[in-house]
Amino acid sequence: MSYTSIKFLIFVTVTILVYFLFPKKWKEYKWTVLLLASYVFYLFAGVQYVGFILFTTASTFFGALWMDKMSKSSKNYLREHKADLSRDEKKKLKERTKRNKRLVVALILILNFGILAFLKYAKVLFMGGTGDLLVVLGISFYTFQSMGYIIDIYRDTVPAQRNFLKFALFVSFFPQIVQGPIGIYSSLAEQLYKPHSFDYDRFRQGFLLILWGLFKKMAIADNANIAISAVTDHYQAYGGTTLLFTVILYAFQLYMDFSGGIDISRGVAQIFGIDMMENFRRPYFSKDISEYWRRWHISLGNWFKTYLFYPLAMSSLFLNVSKNIKKSKFGSTKVGAHIAKVLPTSFASFIVFFMVGVWHGANWKYVAFGVYNGGIIMLAVLLKPVFESVLKKLHINPACAPYTAFRIIRTFILVLVGYVFDVAPSFEESMMTFRLIFTDQNLKVGYGEISELGLSKVALVYLAICAVFIFIISVIQERNAATTIRSTLIKKPAIVRWGVVYLAIMAILIFGVYGSGFNAADFVYAQF
Amino acid sequence: MEKVLEILEEIRPDVDFENEDSLVDGGVLDSFDIVALVGELNDEFDIEIKPSDLVPANFNSAKAINALVEKLMDE
Repeated sequence: MSYTSIKFLIFVTVTILVYFLFPKKWKEYKWTVLLLASYVFYLFAGVQYVGFILFTTASTFFGALWMDKMSKSSKNYLREHKADLSRDEKKKLKERTKRNKRLVVALILILNFGILAFLKYAKVLFMGGTGDLLVVLGISFYTFQSMGYIIDIYRDTVPAQRNFLKFALFVSFFPQIVQGPIGIYSSLAEQLYKPHSFDYDRFRQGFLLILWGLFKKMAIADNANIAISAVTDHYQAYGGTTLLFTVILYAFQLYMDFSGGIDISRGVAQIFGIDMMENFRRPYFSKDISEYWRRWHISLGNWFKTYLFYPLAMSSLFLNVSKNIKKSKFGSTKVGAHIAKVLPTSFASFIVFFMVGVWHGANWKYVAFGVYNGGIIMLAVLLKPVFESVLKKLHINPACAPYTAFRIIRTFILVLVGYVFDVAPSFEESMMTFRLIFTDQNLKVGYGEISELGLSKVALVYLAICAVFIFIISVIQERNAATTIRSTLIKKPAIVRWGVVYLAIMAILIFGVYGSGFNAADFVYAQF
Repeated sequence: MEKVLEILEEIRPDVDFENEDSLVDGGVLDSFDIVALVGELNDEFDIEIKPSDLVPANFNSAKAINALVEKLMDE
């Protein structure tokens, strides 16, 4: 059941009605409506997938309880024998508990990430095919979310959930199951379980957010997708101009597709009284690649930062490398001190990006994508003093507007280079794309090819107008980051509000890609 | 507290640590600064700051960082 289908619209409406009409005297069980709805939604994707999500739910739930029991019994023992234990004995006991917990968390992580890796890699590694063995709905997202929880339990930062069904809701909550945002237990779970009553303001805001998401996905992304899939279906047939056009169009399409889908998810959750984290903050305005990764797919970036980057960078191995460089003769020079500070950390971030690439799928182009992003960030950090001194010599003020504009455009070009790996079907073809973009620019040929991609001239002009429109909206959002356009909108007179809603619905109906015989394109990130 | 401020200023000379109380939430310190800071604090005070200690509340101000150091020294 796609988020853009009529079926989903009906499903959400029914769920909203049941949730808010739930008898008050049983209000502490209101969350069961969300659980039931989530499993109904999941069953629509196919009965055969339910086993996977149940396994992750059960293994994580019981693993967490097991660790919780270890912590509690160790703490109790320490409290009861406070007087007769030496400091060393206490320390030893704590270490033993930690070691046992580490075994449990490792087991759960290996099992669950093992399933994810197997499904993504088995076909390529053992069967000589391409692609995933089986695309289980939302497996990446619910796996990341549950593994975040189990690591939090290991770290003792959240209390273990003792109700299996409540935990099952945290893993399966339907608005986020397809493509995130990846929730954090400490900020999401309680919101899911709390009995929310109907709030008209929240309803209106959620409704507007859903409408906005549908517009971005159906009226923009799916139109752009027609041209992009025409190119990727016969990738070798096109020249450099068309390929460059496709990559730029892809930057627009992917952003509208992914952020539109997330808007629908966040809008639905908001109606239920649940605030999900933001996943995009106008990423194409970033001034460098690290900033881009803090503004694009924020919840994934956060996950990797919390559960992989920091543990790596703060491990004794990495900290010792830094310490040893600092102590050496080289470390006493200015360059050496800088290297000592940033080398191990930038290496850790390189590993993170490599993993992000590997997670996207069993294809060399994704490895290249990870290495490319990690490499740029590593170089940018290592060479920072060089860039700073060049700016100084050229008398450029790093904060001035022209230089900021230059940085934004430069970063966008670097992002486009990364997208080539995404668009091209294989690593070889991505290399071919770079070659053709630089050696085979011909406007006339390009124009001829682009007009044959299934989009009429009017459609192309329409997409260009949409791009300008989104740009203007983004500038407004960027300047008023503290508030949202929809919260301003609901304060306007009814005629303005209804006018906007009417226009949005008309735009979706007129320009939206849908209808019988046409399947709305799957969300790009649903496949990961 | 003095020593913590000294370490902070060494890592980021451009920040007014005595008055800033939103170092993490306000995006003043990035993850590279945090890791450098952790390395220095661990060495200076012979403590072990763990990834689970990396919540914004522990790093938003020099005062909070100092409180974390003192807590870990007691353990």
